[in-house]
Amino acid sequence: MLSFIFISFCLIVAGLGIFLLSKVQRLKEKDKQISALKTSLEEMDEQAKLIMRTDMELNKTQEELDKKISGLDILQKLSRDISTTLEEKQIFKKISNEYLEELGFEKSLAFLWNDLKREFHPCLNLGYGDVESEKIKITVNADKDYYLDLIHSGKTASSVFVPNNFLTKDKIYQLFQVRSFIICPILAQEGDQGFIFVGTQNIETCITEGEQELITILANQIGQTLDNARLFEKTWRSQQELEIKVEERTSQLTQALEEVGKISKRKSDFISSVSHELRTPLTSIKGYAAILLAGKLGSVPDEIRSRLEKINRHSDELVHMVNDLLDISRIESGKVNMNMESLELKYISDKVADLLSEQMKTKNITFSSNIPDDCQKILADRSQIERVFINLVGNALKFTPEKGKISINAHRSGRVIQVDITDTGFGIPEDAQEKIFEEFFRVENTINQEVKGTGLGLTLVKHIIEAHQGRIWVKSKISEGSTFSFTLNAA
Amino acid sequence: MNISLGFSENKDHIQATNEAVGQAMVGLGKTRGDLAIIFTTIEFAHPLVLKIANNLLGGIPILGCSSLGIITNKGIFKHGFAILLISLSKQIFLNLALVKEVNKKTPITAGRELGEKLLYGCKDVRRNLSLIFSDGLISDGTSLINGLQENLGRSFPLIGASASDNHAYAKTFQYFNKDVLTDSCCGLLFGGKMNFGFGIKHGWKALGKIRYVTKADGNIIKEINGEPAVKLYEDYFAKDALELAKELRRISIFYPIGIYLQGEKEYLLRNIISIKDDGSLVTQGDIPQDSPIRLMIGTKDSCLAAAVTSCEEAKKNLGAQKTKFVMIFDSASRFTLLGRQCSRELDIIKAVFGENTPLIGIYTYGEQAPLKSISYLGRAYFHNQSINVLALGGQ
Repeated sequence: MLSFIFISFCLIVAGLGIFLLSKVQRLKEKDKQISALKTSLEEMDEQAKLIMRTDMELNKTQEELDKKISGLDILQKLSRDISTTLEEKQIFKKISNEYLEELGFEKSLAFLWNDLKREFHPCLNLGYGDVESEKIKITVNADKDYYLDLIHSGKTASSVFVPNNFLTKDKIYQLFQVRSFIICPILAQEGDQGFIFVGTQNIETCITEGEQELITILANQIGQTLDNARLFEKTWRSQQELEIKVEERTSQLTQALEEVGKISKRKSDFISSVSHELRTPLTSIKGYAAILLAGKLGSVPDEIRSRLEKINRHSDELVHMVNDLLDISRIESGKVNMNMESLELKYISDKVADLLSEQMKTKNITFSSNIPDDCQKILADRSQIERVFINLVGNALKFTPEKGKISINAHRSGRVIQVDITDTGFGIPEDAQEKIFEEFFRVENTINQEVKGTGLGLTLVKHIIEAHQGRIWVKSKISEGSTFSFTLNAA
Repeated sequence: MNISLGFSENKDHIQATNEAVGQAMVGLGKTRGDLAIIFTTIEFAHPLVLKIANNLLGGIPILGCSSLGIITNKGIFKHGFAILLISLSKQIFLNLALVKEVNKKTPITAGRELGEKLLYGCKDVRRNLSLIFSDGLISDGTSLINGLQENLGRSFPLIGASASDNHAYAKTFQYFNKDVLTDSCCGLLFGGKMNFGFGIKHGWKALGKIRYVTKADGNIIKEINGEPAVKLYEDYFAKDALELAKELRRISIFYPIGIYLQGEKEYLLRNIISIKDDGSLVTQGDIPQDSPIRLMIGTKDSCLAAAVTSCEEAKKNLGAQKTKFVMIFDSASRFTLLGRQCSRELDIIKAVFGENTPLIGIYTYGEQAPLKSISYLGRAYFHNQSINVLALGGQ
């Protein structure tokens, strides 16, 4: 019995031992598992830390990117609005609360330096009351040297970085009542420079480099637009001054022209009346001279005859001069009606050549005419234009030495036909070429002393050509000859 | 119950008030309004604005607060004046109350006082819902609720918002009748037959191992796992306390502390307001000692998914009732986190309740609402980072 009890006891002890051993084994395994779980948990926690750090960096980058995209979008809109402004005062009005808030700020001020008054004056105020902005203006001007230094250095100050020799961040926070800020110089090439301030009370705002860049771009844009506006204003003012000057000058010229017109009319009237008055006695002189020459009052001795012939010739010249003067006066005053008709240029040229052929033969002068087919038809008054040709070819004949050449050429340019009458005469001095069409002007030379003339022929020619809406000019070289050119409308 | 909305973003305060109140009054037709809830952005928080509104509305009760943004059917506005004008049915009663100088009185005392005032005159009526607006800069929001609950009852439905400013965290405003106040809490108590549904979610997810608050005092966490509380953030972000302090707002928004509540899927979030010299963390709501906590991480997608769930729960709680209007108290942190995608959250709300359901909301520095937990059924908490959706129903 005892042995049974002993065996049973041994078995129980052995069983308990085995159970205990297995329990210890299981506990060890559990410990191992717990330890493994703890390690895993610690590892997972470390991973969680990595996730958190990465997530924060990603968030920051994302935020920065969002800000940049949004900022660039706003900046583009703002730049477009600002750059189209050409009035200095309007530039800052384009910066609105909406734009500013999109850029992440709710307060902004801009100051421009007035060199004459030696002070900063505000040109933008967003987010401040009148009292606040006035207070800020006074403080800014009290610390003006700091701001001027910042402008001259071209550097940007912000909550992140404040350049040396500038105000402390705390002073700026206090003055502008913000928690974050950017102050950027407005650097205009011409005129007053200044600075723009943007700020926010938002405690969550952290100024980034990207934001500083955006505000710098905005300040540069404002600077450039200020330059453009000032340049435009300068140009506009100059233009205004010029316009006023032109207006004044035009008015003076109009008055002068009216005066000239009046004088010219008086002159024409005078010439007209004098010419009329002269013609009557001249006709009498010429008539009596003719009677005496005809011997109707008895025979006239040769000496007297020769004197009478002179009287008669000079009277003819005087009549001719008076007629020319009358014609000039009439054309000037518009009393002569031009009977415009289609004429053959070649015909006129030939007619004139024929008329003067005897004189040409005498002086052994070669005459040529080259009038192309497209220049045949001109629109002119027959009698007047013939006078032009006779005068010009006659002059050429007078001033061309023997064995010389006279030619008439024409060419067409659109609706205008140009006629050139060229001779190989003595030529006209350069300083006389402009005056040659003036009344009674005669070139001072030996030839003119020999060749007679009234000094009215070319004046008459000029008036006739101008009455035909043409113009006349001369090109000449001493000893080589002259070319008188004039234009007429093609028929 | 009839409701009408008015909104204006006119920059002239007086014109904006006239426009918005005018719209709301016209919308209500000949019916007289019984209650006006006014939300404005910070620049409209001016005594003159409230006086004009009070005059125009004929002296009816006004309740409201300031915010960094206004949410309406038409969009999210950074500047504006919004009004919700309510004409109550005869079966609904309301009582308004205000408590000033919350910090001076201590939040818990102020909470008790508000509770007493709200109950005054409503003791014989079936109380239904309380709506409160408090200063967003009250450091211990939880104590305020605790004080309130001592009088109203722990499981009494309490929905509220902590007013916000333009992220300056300088001054927030509360509106009570014709007064603009700070450091105050105003509220109303609805009694009688009233149907409402609410939902509150944040969308942040726990990451890393569970830790325990080994030493805490109200809203100050002194130690976590026997070490200075700040070490939790130092370890996770490999930054010292000074560096953390510089980025505290961002860290607090993206990675708040989550308090684990038994049986709840979501954690109760706590924003970090500041770091003390001894390494303690100051939070916006309290964290009880021995609370299991975890660090939380939020993404835009998880935030938006939470908005869907919150709206759906509010709608579901309303049952077969037609939604008369929706009121949103959305965390200012979510506004920052979502950034340009804020409008997507509004789209979600409109998609759940219908495009034309009247909608009004604000961004808050704290939200108050029951966390629908199995263990703490009906008890209201102070929340951070949440979207709080209140839907009122009617025939």
